[in-house]
Amino acid sequence: MSSDICAALSPEEWSILALSLKVSLVAVAAILPVCFCIAWMLARWRFPGKLLVDALVHLPLVLPPVVTGWLLLLLFGMNGPIGRWLSDVFGITLLFRWTGAALAAAIMAVPLMVRAIRLSIEAIDTRLESAAATLGASRLRIFFTISLPLALPGVLAAIILGFARSLGEFGATITFVSDVPGETRTLPIAIYAAMQMPDGEAMVTRFAILSTMLSLGALMLSEIMVRRIAHGGRHVV
Amino acid sequence: MKPPFLRAFCALLLLLSANPSSAANDRGPVILAAASLQDVLAVAAVEWARQGHAQPVLSFAGSSALARQIRAGAPADLFISADEDWMDVVEKGGLIQPRTRADIAGNQLVLVTPIRQPVQVKMGRGMPIARALGSSRLAMADPDSVPAGKYGKAALTKLGVWTAVSPKVVRAENVRAALALVERGEARLGIVYATDARASRKVRIAGIFPAWTHPPIRYPVARLRTSRHADADAFRTFLLSPKGRAVLARYGFSAP
Repeated sequence: MSSDICAALSPEEWSILALSLKVSLVAVAAILPVCFCIAWMLARWRFPGKLLVDALVHLPLVLPPVVTGWLLLLLFGMNGPIGRWLSDVFGITLLFRWTGAALAAAIMAVPLMVRAIRLSIEAIDTRLESAAATLGASRLRIFFTISLPLALPGVLAAIILGFARSLGEFGATITFVSDVPGETRTLPIAIYAAMQMPDGEAMVTRFAILSTMLSLGALMLSEIMVRRIAHGGRHVV
Repeated sequence: MKPPFLRAFCALLLLLSANPSSAANDRGPVILAAASLQDVLAVAAVEWARQGHAQPVLSFAGSSALARQIRAGAPADLFISADEDWMDVVEKGGLIQPRTRADIAGNQLVLVTPIRQPVQVKMGRGMPIARALGSSRLAMADPDSVPAGKYGKAALTKLGVWTAVSPKVVRAENVRAALALVERGEARLGIVYATDARASRKVRIAGIFPAWTHPPIRYPVARLRTSRHADADAFRTFLLSPKGRAVLARYGFSAP
């Protein structure tokens, strides 16, 4: 029994892990710039409807994932307004594809990522930026040489947290893109499918251990990043 | 400002604390049932309650998920599976009470297509189902575990088209989830039970799988070992009685 559990992953299991990593990496890479812009807006700007934007950003955190998945299905399905437009104009289909799984994972990662980035932007001492401005630095230069480097720990934390969240995404994914082996069967969906089989126990155990280790590692890494932010802040003052 | 709020809050607390105790008294037996029985059991439960019983608590999912919950010790009274296999698994685990197992109904397996964007396929050996789908997909319950999916896989294998069509299969958690994908036109073909097709106004039957293509579809019921509810066996008997059979027949289920 124990050797069964500890046995190396089968080729099929490796491909499930590889697909999960691909989906999560693409999801985080695609949504990171968006999250940074939103975080910057929320941290630095004042505009009407800011409260609403803030609430919308956090919505995936509190909305039942199955609702998020259902909304994605309505919007991005073959008969949804965005889904039909994407397929007519660009020939892109998200439904039942790994790209759809990445979209669901990205949406679910937004609240965590925006929060981490926003915290680090708010921790930046704006006097540094003002000082650079009085010395004649352009706004672009200030952003790339002062703001962005100081916000970097938060961005890294956001990447790791978002990646970990994407790896674990289940509810919205199964509602939106279902279970298509090799296409949308990521780690959590494979675990769920294996749980339904009378002899799936060993596979469930192996995948559960793997998921736990990945998530734990990611959380610890992001915690280290967050500590760095705290240190960085004190250093500046 | 505060006292009225406080009073309202206390009233709410009182209400919440009062409710569960009364509910616990007239709570009926807990029934775990296959997803395809959703509408019919709800009606059967109401009819049974009208005879003076407490309304049973119904919980629907794929038979595989339910079997998993039972093996984990779910405190329920009856299990109604959509195939004999899952009931066998539960029975072999010593989780049902002896001599309580019986078949309540039978069903047919059909191919459905959305009414708005229908697909035509002629049923039979080597049917061109993959070609008929084009870039669309075939929705069915998980063919590795959920009964409707297992029957579907068996049928398509018998007809010699499983290998061709399996890359286009979208696996749903249960048969109703597969039906929902076809209803919305996201999958243009789906494999469900005849009773599911009947329950939906958004799909029509594209073909019926002949009975020889798959194992007979039967719904076994059994009382679980953990069952404590005094009324549990009465509901089981009701389902097997002429009255219960009549309700099942009204929804298109055949005699077992």
